[in-house]
Amino acid sequence: MIEPEVATRWRSQGAFDRTATLLIGTVAVLAALLAILQATNGLASTRAQAQAARLSADAAAKISASMLVQGATLGSQQGALVLGMEAVSALIVATTSGDAGLYAVGTANQAASGKLTAALTESAATSSAAPVDPYAAGLMSASIDQLNAQVTEQNRQVDLANETGARSQRAVLGLSLLTLAGVLAGIAAVLGRGRAGWATLGVGWVTTGVVIGVTLLTVL
Amino acid sequence: MEGHVGGVPAGVEIDATPAENHGVETTPVGAHGGERAGAEAHAGDAHRDSSHRGVAVLLGLAAILAAIVGVRATALSSDASDMWQSALRSEVKRSAGALESLRYLYQSEVPPVLTILGTRIQEAELRTAAATETGAVADTLTREADVKANVLAAISSTYELATHPAYALPGGGVNLGLRLSDVRNETPDLVALDPDALQAAGDALGAKAAAMTLPLLPLGVAALFAALAQPFAGRRRELLAAGTAVLTFGALAALAVEALA
Repeated sequence: MIEPEVATRWRSQGAFDRTATLLIGTVAVLAALLAILQATNGLASTRAQAQAARLSADAAAKISASMLVQGATLGSQQGALVLGMEAVSALIVATTSGDAGLYAVGTANQAASGKLTAALTESAATSSAAPVDPYAAGLMSASIDQLNAQVTEQNRQVDLANETGARSQRAVLGLSLLTLAGVLAGIAAVLGRGRAGWATLGVGWVTTGVVIGVTLLTVL
Repeated sequence: MEGHVGGVPAGVEIDATPAENHGVETTPVGAHGGERAGAEAHAGDAHRDSSHRGVAVLLGLAAILAAIVGVRATALSSDASDMWQSALRSEVKRSAGALESLRYLYQSEVPPVLTILGTRIQEAELRTAAATETGAVADTLTREADVKANVLAAISSTYELATHPAYALPGGGVNLGLRLSDVRNETPDLVALDPDALQAAGDALGAKAAAMTLPLLPLGVAALFAALAQPFAGRRRELLAAGTAVLTFGALAALAVEALA
């Protein structure tokens, strides 16, 4: 028969071993879970950041391209209008001064103004038509509604990048604390079932509890 | 930890079953001593060493597999990130190339070409009018038309858009779309850029990387079983079997992701 105090000591040692190994096992499972969360959220954040930047570049290109085309089209239409107004002026001057030659020139320029407007309209209609490649055509023909939708999506991607980035950081925080818990479990195993060992084990479990909270915050 | 348990002196009878002793492994040895007791103790030690080795092997395998899976998932994540960054760089390069072509066409070519078109139409109208007039009026119209013709001769030859028949439209305009296409095709590499394809490749790699991390969970559970098998000696065999099964599942899952995803 062994002495009762020896049996009690062994029972105490068994409880200590179970608590310590359960802590190590929990740390292993939480480490796996947090690694998954960190990896998936990190990936999502990286993708959203890149996508947001792509959308910004694309929106900027569309704004620049549509402004270029619209500016050139408006400028040319103004040129045709100026020609027509000059023709009308020549007609007025020719009428008041009785200059038949000037009147004929004004009449010809007035007709030219109309034909030039038609030619410009004909030219503008081909701006984004075939054989222009779809990307360049899309840049030129982007509407305000399309740009607004793109900016909304870009903002959503930025928000997504921030949110998943924060989750990824929380997962890293959890992994860091988990490392501490693992080290504490190891130290407790070395110290054994004495007061110091139990205290270290307790701190390890408290740290693991915090990590579980951090994990829940990362998931939710 | 186990060192404390393993320190039970041979020949001491423990008045507690493993269950009563909360599963802590003990080594009951007969009180009679002698060869039989020694043999039983030796067999018990061998069995204990074997099961301890099983715990160590399972923990080691779980750690090694987790490391391999982690490295592979990290590599895939890195590749996915590279693809997404390439897609971004490609997007910027593509938009810069397209904008450069558009600026060249609409800022450098179109304004003078429109002047040429206007002058050309004016000349035609003036000559048409001159043909219907006589005397001084006809002379005035012809002189005006000649002025326009001189202007055209001076500037039109510089601009292919204004002179090349391929760009001429029936109404006197020019085919800006065809001209833009030709300008763009002077740099075919920029036209061929496809950031969407790079993005899709990055998405595929990212999905594979995310899937590759999932086997870490069964591997962690296998480590949990292995750790629990140490103090719970009464259930060690079952725990080791469960841990091995979960470990195998995790390893197969990782292989499936690698092969199929």
